[in-house]
Parts: sequence; structure tokens; C-alpha cells
Amino acid sequence: MAAETLLSFPPDDVATLSPKKYDDLMTKYLKSLDKLAKTWTVSIGKKNILDLLSPEVNSIPYLLALNDQIKTAGKSIDETHLTLAASFLTTFDPVQVRYVGEDFRELVCFVLECAPQAGADYLVAVTTGLLRLDPTAGTFTSMHLLLVRACLQASMPSLALPILDKDIYAYPAESQKNVPEDLLSEDLELSNSFITAKSAFSHKLKSDFILEYYLHGAQVYIGLRNYDRARLFLEYILLTPTIQHATSMLQVEAYQKWAMVGLLAQGKTFPLPRTLDSSVTKSIRAVGKPYDALAESFERRNWRKYQAEMEVGTQQWHGDGNFRLVQEAASALLRYRVIDLQKTYAALPVGRVATHLEFTSDETLTLLSEMIRSGLLNASITPAQNNTTADAVLRFHFTAPTTVSSTAGGNLELELQTQRIESLVSSIRDADRRLQLSKEYVEYQKRQKRSGPDAADLADQMDLSYDNPIEMGGDEDIMAG
Amino acid sequence: MVANGIAASTAKKMKLASSPRSGTLPPPTFDIETWAGNYDGALLPFRLAHIAIHCPQLARQSLSIAISATKKGKDVQLYNRLCELASQLGLQDLGAADHEWAGKQEEGNKRELSRLEGELRGYKNNLIRESIRMGQEDIATHLLLTGGPLPDPANPQPLNTAGYNAAYQAFGRMRDYCTTPTHIASMTLRLIYTALLQAVSAQQQHSAAATHFNSALANAGRLRSVGVKEEEQVKLTPIACAAAGIAQLGLGNYSDAAAVFLATPFDYNTLGTVHGAHFGKAMASANDIAIYGGLCALATYSRQELVDNVLGGKFRSFLELEPHMRKAISLYTTAKYQACLATLRHYYSDWSLDVFLGAPASSGATADSHVDRLFARIREKSITAYLSSFSEVSLASLATTFPPTPSAPTAMEDEVLNMIESGMLDARLDMVKGILIAPRKETRSSAHAEAKKAAQEVERTLLLRLHKVNVAMAGLEIPRSKASGGWDSLAAGNGGY
Repeated sequence: MAAETLLSFPPDDVATLSPKKYDDLMTKYLKSLDKLAKTWTVSIGKKNILDLLSPEVNSIPYLLALNDQIKTAGKSIDETHLTLAASFLTTFDPVQVRYVGEDFRELVCFVLECAPQAGADYLVAVTTGLLRLDPTAGTFTSMHLLLVRACLQASMPSLALPILDKDIYAYPAESQKNVPEDLLSEDLELSNSFITAKSAFSHKLKSDFILEYYLHGAQVYIGLRNYDRARLFLEYILLTPTIQHATSMLQVEAYQKWAMVGLLAQGKTFPLPRTLDSSVTKSIRAVGKPYDALAESFERRNWRKYQAEMEVGTQQWHGDGNFRLVQEAASALLRYRVIDLQKTYAALPVGRVATHLEFTSDETLTLLSEMIRSGLLNASITPAQNNTTADAVLRFHFTAPTTVSSTAGGNLELELQTQRIESLVSSIRDADRRLQLSKEYVEYQKRQKRSGPDAADLADQMDLSYDNPIEMGGDEDIMAG
Repeated sequence: MVANGIAASTAKKMKLASSPRSGTLPPPTFDIETWAGNYDGALLPFRLAHIAIHCPQLARQSLSIAISATKKGKDVQLYNRLCELASQLGLQDLGAADHEWAGKQEEGNKRELSRLEGELRGYKNNLIRESIRMGQEDIATHLLLTGGPLPDPANPQPLNTAGYNAAYQAFGRMRDYCTTPTHIASMTLRLIYTALLQAVSAQQQHSAAATHFNSALANAGRLRSVGVKEEEQVKLTPIACAAAGIAQLGLGNYSDAAAVFLATPFDYNTLGTVHGAHFGKAMASANDIAIYGGLCALATYSRQELVDNVLGGKFRSFLELEPHMRKAISLYTTAKYQACLATLRHYYSDWSLDVFLGAPASSGATADSHVDRLFARIREKSITAYLSSFSEVSLASLATTFPPTPSAPTAMEDEVLNMIESGMLDARLDMVKGILIAPRKETRSSAHAEAKKAAQEVERTLLLRLHKVNVAMAGLEIPRSKASGGWDSLAAGNGGY
């Protein structure tokens, strides 16, 4: 009897069911599961129920049973549970799981708790699981943050990348009154339709979770020297709206890192985002002064002053956990001093570079060869005839080897970029739609109507038109020219 | 005498401050007596003093002309200053001041001033505006001719009412009593002249002249729209342009100066006396305008602009007065930079001895003069233009085309490096081969890079905005906590679940 109920879903013709029908069946099925005796989760007959069910087909009962067994096991959890959980995460049916968000989350939390000791495979399983549930990973859940935390704890930050690389475009929201909900069974384009506050895929969110997620993410990207992405994450933190100009300590930390990342990425600090709340800027800057001082010395390319600032603030950098970053920037400063030279020189003796850097010729030569080897400097060194280091010649190359491939590769990159922006625009449209459904917007519209039709400000609307440059045919003109 | 003491001390300042530069210039190509004949008015002694300070060979001649010219006038202060300057320069016979004349003249000046003031009081009692205006004008003119009252050391506050400042303010007081636009025009002309005089006087004493040039500029602007009849305005516009140009030149705004000079109608040359003053003699001759305008244009205009607006424009009539200036410009436009610079250098001394061109471009004793700055700019422009036609030029050939002024072996290299660093020259230096390389423009790839950058920026901005909207919609703003003002959110974040 129990087995019959358990296996009543999915029916044989599941693939042909309409979303509505599927939803009805599923609701009925979930109700019947509730009615079953509590013991079904352990075994039926002599066999463990998990052996009877297929995680792929009977995802819901499998998940419930697994969770229950883990709970019963308590402290004495063994490897088998983890293995089962991991295999479930890589094989479950994503549509079924949408109906049991809380249970799914429990399982993920369990795996993540054990993962730092258990090993990388389980972290990979969780990322796979998250992406199976939501291939865009674009609706933020507490599972995002827990995963990144676990990866950092296990000292395997790159395992979080599949999730970090996806842009967050929504947060789980309460359903709006009077707005019909999407059916969970439908083929939904955006994951925030089924990851909602009601579905309980996420713990109740706090703003700190978001800030922490982005801060960890930025750290991962800084470690990987992906400064563009790190900058984006840090600016997310800086630009997070605040109530009455409150400023989070995490924003201060983000600012410190942001200043350093700017120096590393482009030799000067990034311009402050224009939409940043000015009083938040003020309070952040008041705390971030030492970093501004570093940045100033850096921008003036004053290596000695930077060194001095660095030594004076050693304790501070350690305290903020930015010592490595500050050190990294110190060596970047040397590199930028050399890179600046190529704006003026085409070739010059190593001895002169050394004088410029206030180094010995040998040290300079080591630095230069290191830079050339790591691709930071597009140049070559020709040894002098008399073999003295100072007379060796550093020659900058201006026709970068990348420009050859850039015609084909560049086009491809631009196309990818266009695609990214277009998909971004669709999520923005969705955000726009949600915004229009909100109570605040309706009230705003009412007030607008009262104050007359001319009062609507076009500038308030987000500009979503993005001209596709590739389809405009301008490219051919360049060729012809 | 207290008065003499102070005059002497200012003269000392004038000499000592300029001593590092004095005696550096060779004699000019012109004859000083003929040259002095071109000018008159209060500015002439200043012109001559400028020559005396900068050109030792002409010091005696110029000072003797200056002193005898001054003695014919009423300005005792100026006379004393010139005598002091003469003795500073070692010309003791010229330096011996005629104290008897000075004392007598000073007495006379004071008497005259009180007489004029008495008359003005009378006019004011009668309430006849026109008479009051003329009374004010008489006093102002008298103050201008006598150099104004001496500064009172006991009371530093009225310092700005001493010297030519007093005249400037007295002219300004006429404004309330002007009844026709012509009156205003006449007053404005005098204000311009006085302001320029103040500026020159300040420059020779190495104090800041910018305020005076600015007031000259402002008055010149007013003069253009003073509201007089067309046929009168025709006479005023050339003066307004020339004065504005001189003021802009004095302020170091060379491209603005060039624009105004080029707009100056050639009528300036044949203007004669306007409202009782001959500006061609008192301020600057048409020849001077040709030089000022030509140099400023050469230093700031592109080759095409020079051809179209300077050689081909109406300024050409001015240039006909100074054929070597015209020649220098046409040499530049035909890319004969070396010859152009040589021509200019030939007249370096002449121009440096001009009171406006040779003035220091910024306050400070060792500052470059405007001529130096203009020459440097023309040189840099020539080098840039010269390089634009080559992809590689050796430093040695550059040095022969443009012989560097300092004789240090690295002079050319340093100059080029400076130009590259200041962004004026888009080139790279190959230190090993000693050549200057023009960078190759990769239009296609740079367009690609540009597009990529723009797209990335769009993406980033959209993402950031989306984030803000989402956070606000989900009600996840950073809260303001009651206890410790938002700081404990970190603890909450670490506390986890």
C-alpha cells in the first residue's frame, strides 16, 4: 500500500502532462505522502527504502527518506549517507524538487556541513545540485552563501566559481497579493518564479548574507586575479542601499579591498560609482583613510613613500586581513613604474630603468625578466655585447601579439558580450515587471496621476535599449575602409 | 625727504629684483632714438627703463631719453625712480637728480591738485553734472600725469589709493556724472590706459599685474558695447581689441590673445587721436600689434589656421608692417621650421626689449618672459609638426634641425622626454639607437578595444543598478541598528544561523 502510494508519481505519461495537470497531480501526491505512516521512510518490507526508489524518477520520496534517515542517524552519520546525498544531488529531477524546497535545502546544508572534512567531491556535488535546480543560479539563496563559505573553509575557493560566475538577478520574494502565481511545474525562464520566500529554498535572508556572499566572492576573484569581477562584487557591496545612511562594516572592508583592486587592475583607484550615497561614502572614507594614503602614493608612482606607508600600517593591514593585498600592490607599483616607461621609450638600457626604479641593475633585470615571462610586459631584453647587465637593452614591443588574433577573437568576444547584455536585459525587464507590481509603485503611480501627466520623469525609467552593434553592418564598412 | 626715500626704495626693488636678468640681451636691431619717437605718454619712460634694465649697451642712451622726457612732465616720483635706476646701473652722471626741479615741481603739483579739488567742490555745489564730470576728469588726469599721491607708510590701508591707483579710481568716479555714451566711452578709454600703465608699473616692480590686466580686459570688453553711434564705434573697436589682446597676452592666455589681435581692424594704424589720446603712440603701435598677434598665433594656431586666418585674413595688413613676422609665419606654414625659428631668434632681443612681450610671464624674478614662453611653444609645436611626417627620426638629426638652447649633451633628449611626458608629443624614444619613433595607430584594434570597454561598462552599470533595485525590492537594505549604529551588523553576519 505504502509502496503503491510512493510510486504513484510520476505517472507513466508524465512527459505529456500539461503543467496544470502536472501541478494538480503533484499536489494530490504530496497530500497522500503526508497521510502515510511516519515509518515509511526507513524501510518497506526488509529492504531499505532508498534501494527501492530511484533518485532520478522518485526524487521527492527519495529526498524525504534520505533526510529522515540522516536525522535519525544523528551523530553517527557515515560515509554512505554522504555518498547517497551526493549522488542524489547530481541526478534528481529538478521540477519535482521545486515542490519540496525546504527538504532540498536541508540536504544541501547537511552535505555542506560535512564537506570541508569530507573533500572536494561533495562540494562539486552541491554546485551541480544547485545548477540542476536553477541553471542560471540567479536567484540568491542562503545556499549560495553556505557553499562559498564551505569552499573557503575547505581552502578550495575555485570550487565555488560555477556559482560565483553567475550573476544574481533576483532575491526570493514574498508573493504579491492579487497576482496569480506561476505554476511550479511550468517551464520557467527565470528561477525567481519558483525560488520564492514561500518555497523555502533559502533561509530568511538578511542584508548581511548578501554582503558577506559578495565579499567572499570578491576575495575568491582577487585570489584568482580576476579583477573585473572582483570590482563588480565589491561595488555591489558599496552600492547596496541603506536605510538612513547606515553603513555596514562589510562595506568598509569592501572599500578597502576595492581601493587596492583598482591599483592592481589599472594602476589607479577606480572612480567612485556615481550613484553611491554621499554620506555613506563619507563614513566609509573616514575609516578607510590609510588605504587612500596608499593609493595616493601609488598613483604618484612613489615607491619609497608607498613602502614607508606600508610599514607604518603593517598592523592595520594584518588586522583588516589585507596584508597580502597591500603587498601585492607594492610589487604591482614596481611593475607600473616599468609599464609607464613604455609611454615614453621604445627601447632603453637596463641601467636607466634601474636608475628610474632606484634599484641595482641586477635586481632590475630580474624584475624585468619576471614581468616579461608572466606576460605583464610586452618587451624583450637583448644582452649587451660586453655582457654587463646595465648595458643590456630593454625593448618594448608595440604591435602586441594579441592584435593578430583580435580581429577574429575580438569579434567573438564582442558577440558574447552582446549576448550577456541581452540576457541581462531580460532579467532587468523582469525586475521592472516585479517593481511595477509592488504596492509602492502603485502608490507612486497614483500620486503621479494626481500631480498631472507631465510630472512623469523619463529619466527615471531604466534605459533598456541596447543597440546591437554587430547587426548594424558597420563592421563591413571598416573592412572596406 | 621721506618722499624721495620711498621712491628710492621702490627703484631699488626694481633694479635688484631684476638683476639676475639684467644685461643679458644684445642690442636690438632698431635705433633707439627713432624707436622712442614712435611712443609718447606715461608709458614711454617705462619702455625705456625696461630697455635699460635688460640691455646694458643701451642703458645710458635709453635712460637719458627717459629722464629728459620725464623732466618735461610732472611725474616727480617717476623721475626719482629713473635717476635711482641710473645710479644702480652705474651711470652716476645720469643718476644725479635735479632736486631743485623736483621740489619745485612737487610743490606745483600739490598746488594744482588743491586748486582742482577746490574747483570740483564748486561744481558740486552748483550741481551741474557736466561740470562735475569735467572736474573729476581734470583731477584724474592730473593724478595720472603726476603719478598720484605717495603711499603713506604710517597708514597702509589707503595703499591702493596711492600712485596710479588713485588716477584709476578718480577716472572711475566720473561714471556717475556721464550723461551720454560718448562720455562713457571716453572714460573707459582712460580706464584702459591707466590699467595698462598700472600693470606695466607693477611688472617692473615685480609685483602681480594680473588684477590690472583683468581690469583692462573688462574695460576693453565694455568699450565694444558702449552704445555710441556706428561711426564712433568704428574708432573704438580697434582700441578695444588691441587693449584686450595686450591684457590677454599679459595674463599668459596666448590663444585668446591671438584671437583678439587677429580680430583687430587695421584702422588701428590710422586712428589718430581718439578722445584726446593717441593710442598708437601711448599704448602700442600697429607694428607692435603685428608682432604680438603674429607671435601668439604662431604659438597656438595650427598650420591650416595660420594659412586661413593669419596670412589669408585681414590681419595680413598688420603683418605687412612687420615683413619678418610675416616671413616667419609663412616659413612655418611651409614646414621650414628651422628657418622660421632662426628668423624668430634674430629678433629675440628686439621683442624681449618690448615692455609687454619682455615682461615676466609670472611673478618672480627669474620667471621666463612672454617671449621665452612663446618661443618655447613655437619650438615645441615645430618639433611636433616636424615629427608628424616621419615614423622615425634620429635625435641627432632632430638636434641639427632644432638646435637645443642649453649646451648640455642630453639637452635634446631631455626636451623630447619632457614633451612626451607632458603629452604634447605622441612618440617613443629609442635610447639605444637614439631615434624617436612615432607610434603606429591600430585603428581597427583600438576601435575593437573601445567597443569592448564600452560594452563592459554597460554591463557593469546594468548589473549594479539591477542589484540596487533587487535589494530594495526584497527589503534587504542595510538596517540602522539601534545599539551601536550599524556596526554590529558584522557580528550578525558572522553569527550565521
